[in-house]
Amino acid sequence: MAQDSKPGTMRVSSWRQYRALLLKDLRQEVRTREMLTSMVVYALLVLTIYGAALAQVGDRVEVVSFAGGLLWALIIFTSLLGLNRSFSHETESGCLEGILLAPVDRAVVFLAKATSNLIFLALVELITVPLFFLFFLSGAELASTTPMMLLPLVVGTIGVAGVGTLLSTMTIDTRGRDVLLAILFIPVVFPLLYACVSATSVALMGVEGTFGTFWTSLALAGAYDVIMIAAAWGLYEFVVDA
Amino acid sequence: MAPEKSVSRRSGAPAVYAHGLVKQFGPRRALDGVDLSVPEGAFLSIFGPNGAGKTTLLRTLALLSRPTRGSLALMGVDALDEPDELRARIGLISHRSMLYGDLSAQENLEFFSALYRGEPDRGRIRELLELVELDHRRHDAVRTYSRGMQQRLSIARALVNDPDLVLLDEPYSGLDPHAAELFDELIARVREGRTFIMVSHDLEKGFDLCTHALIMARGQVVVCADKAGIDRAAFRELYLATVGMGVA
Repeated sequence: MAQDSKPGTMRVSSWRQYRALLLKDLRQEVRTREMLTSMVVYALLVLTIYGAALAQVGDRVEVVSFAGGLLWALIIFTSLLGLNRSFSHETESGCLEGILLAPVDRAVVFLAKATSNLIFLALVELITVPLFFLFFLSGAELASTTPMMLLPLVVGTIGVAGVGTLLSTMTIDTRGRDVLLAILFIPVVFPLLYACVSATSVALMGVEGTFGTFWTSLALAGAYDVIMIAAAWGLYEFVVDA
Repeated sequence: MAPEKSVSRRSGAPAVYAHGLVKQFGPRRALDGVDLSVPEGAFLSIFGPNGAGKTTLLRTLALLSRPTRGSLALMGVDALDEPDELRARIGLISHRSMLYGDLSAQENLEFFSALYRGEPDRGRIRELLELVELDHRRHDAVRTYSRGMQQRLSIARALVNDPDLVLLDEPYSGLDPHAAELFDELIARVREGRTFIMVSHDLEKGFDLCTHALIMARGQVVVCADKAGIDRAAFRELYLATVGMGVA
């Protein structure tokens, strides 16, 4: 976009502001690895606990029948930890105020933060989902439809990052924000979680005649993403300017 | 040498004109009908007890907080209608640095510059780093800076958009006397062509710097006057009496 010599006499491209905000988050994470490290370590601990719990039941249960639920519980709890940390740099020295002082559309701030959260969550899933398969499903006979679980994984992660970004902004300045975020996040994200667990389970089990459920669940998750992210986009200005 | 202030878009209107500003937090009124007019180029110092509404007023002028009621114009532009145009012309220096500790001075200024211009203005960043005498540490993480250095860098951050209105929220908080002296020197070097509004608990320093002085209590303006017309001893007594009134 065209620029004049002095800010204030021009409109700055929202895309460039988005890029600056996103690159700043990525640069900080590359330097500190705070969020990724804590999320991966936490995910590994959850996998260890799953391992201990499932070791007691041996071959008596088919893990694949509830693997979708286990996997999404892992993703939700890990993302909660990451979302709690995603604003720690912004609040540390009042940096969020520094951003809000600039002529940046608040929706652009939301979009950039949601994108960085999405990238970090996706990276953590790239590590933990294969490990989940290795630890718990390596001996199981997987359905040919298993790769289809990538669809609910992508749709669900987008929703978690979008809604989680809004809620973590709302809880930035609250006391006990870790607990408050969990209390707000899990009920709000429940419809998405339910739809994604359902679609993931169908993909993993691959039972004939259940694919109607897969597509219905995926459509519900997609609709949830569209509605909630649009709402978050619209509400973000009220949240940060409150 | 201080980076030159580009030509201010002088409108002849006051830098700040507020009428009947109210900011309500639940049942509490942090601002209760504030009227204020600050001429262009003035240095207004705001004093008052804790909870008087000074920081709320400054946040409202910085367009970080929307007033519940009332009207506000900055540099002749309606702040409630055109906030983005005005945000590009405002700088804020607070006791919090608003800097990312894991990024270097250069990276911090490039980031904030990009928010105002789309692309970082590297020429201006170089000038600002020279002004605050941190060009030799430009690539060091801000986390490794002393409090005084961080505050100097926060001046550079606040000037990255070449603002017409600079707001200072207790900028001396946590600075040792030497760092405070350096801070004063820097402010003096960038004064020309800009309007300053400072919230301070330090009556002596605030009074020395200002051209206009204001005392607030319980969300209201107790007195606001040109320094030339103020008797310093009487002002001091009024200030102490106001502090004695306590918070809203």
